[in-house]
Amino acid sequence: MSREKPPTADGADPYKPPMELVYSEVRHREQSAELSDRELALAARSGDMVSFEALVVRKTPAVVSVARRIVSDPEDARDVAQMVFLRVWEQLDRYDATYSFNTWIYRITTNLSIDFLRSSRSREKAHGATLHLVRQREEATGAETSRAAEDDEMSRLFREASERLSGKQKAAFVLREMEDKDTDEIARILQCGESTVRNHLFNARRILRKEIEKICPGFVRARRRAPEKR
Amino acid sequence: MTSGCEVTRTRFESYLGEALSREERSAVRAHLSECAACRREGSELDPSLLFATAMPERVSDADAARILEGVRAGIALKTAERRVRRVPSHRKRAGATAAAAAAVLLALTLTSPSPARLALARANRLSAAAGPGRTSLPAAAGTRAAVPAGESGSEFGAPAMTARPFSPFAEAGAPGGQKAPADATIYDWNPGGGQPRVVWIVDRSLDI
Repeated sequence: MSREKPPTADGADPYKPPMELVYSEVRHREQSAELSDRELALAARSGDMVSFEALVVRKTPAVVSVARRIVSDPEDARDVAQMVFLRVWEQLDRYDATYSFNTWIYRITTNLSIDFLRSSRSREKAHGATLHLVRQREEATGAETSRAAEDDEMSRLFREASERLSGKQKAAFVLREMEDKDTDEIARILQCGESTVRNHLFNARRILRKEIEKICPGFVRARRRAPEKR
Repeated sequence: MTSGCEVTRTRFESYLGEALSREERSAVRAHLSECAACRREGSELDPSLLFATAMPERVSDADAARILEGVRAGIALKTAERRVRRVPSHRKRAGATAAAAAAVLLALTLTSPSPARLALARANRLSAAAGPGRTSLPAAAGTRAAVPAGESGSEFGAPAMTARPFSPFAEAGAPGGQKAPADATIYDWNPGGGQPRVVWIVDRSLDI
């Protein structure tokens, strides 16, 4: 079988072995990055681990963010995130692709975070973390803070003040106020009615108000004390 | 104070009461994230408004890599666990299949007379063609017919059942006068055909 050799300037044989790329994991990863969550989930369901890992990488920030705000501890949040992705891998065949993948993964995240929060280990750790944070905050009182430092301070304050919230109240508040989800989506995530979500939010705000007043009186010193709404 | 500040401050109560539209709510949050004065004003009204401007928790690349590694390890572990679990489940399944097959055969044999009767009718025809002289297996005393009285193979277009009850104990002349179990009946449907073919064993003690 003859092969045509294109002419070259130096006359060298431009022969290349007749190889054809059959599979490239790098290319597969690049292609996976362009797929939607739903497409990745469906590919992962059929056993494509590259797609599953792309999904893990993509969803890690959101999952860790929610888990960290609910369980209050960064290490625990990482553990919860791993459990979330393992649960996703185990239950991918149960995922209904007609619904948003985000809703599904947020549901798993909030459920596992609430379960974690309920465990005695988590309670003990949260108590220890609160004491530590109170000490840290006392040391930092009066310091001029930047916006980033203010965010850190808000996060710490939330961890302390939200200790009294129930798992569902905390999850509803985190999803609404910090993740900026709509109440109908939160209802789907928590698998309850929208009115229940509003109730959780109302009670969460009431409890947070009281706790912040207790923990940090300086914050509300100048507050116009409006009568307590009920 | 800008007009944006005024609008935002008038919306605080509605924001807290979940009474704003998606756009109005987003506008309040956007303004609060930029305006320190309104954040202060809002927190004085309700400290929970402080969290409206909370930035998403940051996840470092190292943390993300650790999580991915943990997930990979967890999947490897769970895959190995599933593989280990499969062995006994296979054995269980094989045992269950054999038991189910035996149960189905027994049920068919005991509860569905049609195929058995057809077979019986065929055996009877063969037996009749062979003639009584070729029957080499004498009936054992005490054995009973498996087909209830009043029923016969004639309804299937075959002569009435003439299959001979067969007792291997009596035939072999078992030592010590060993007899067939009291409630068991064993039929040979091919008498004279050489080796007896036991095709129907009824244990009356089952009380079916």
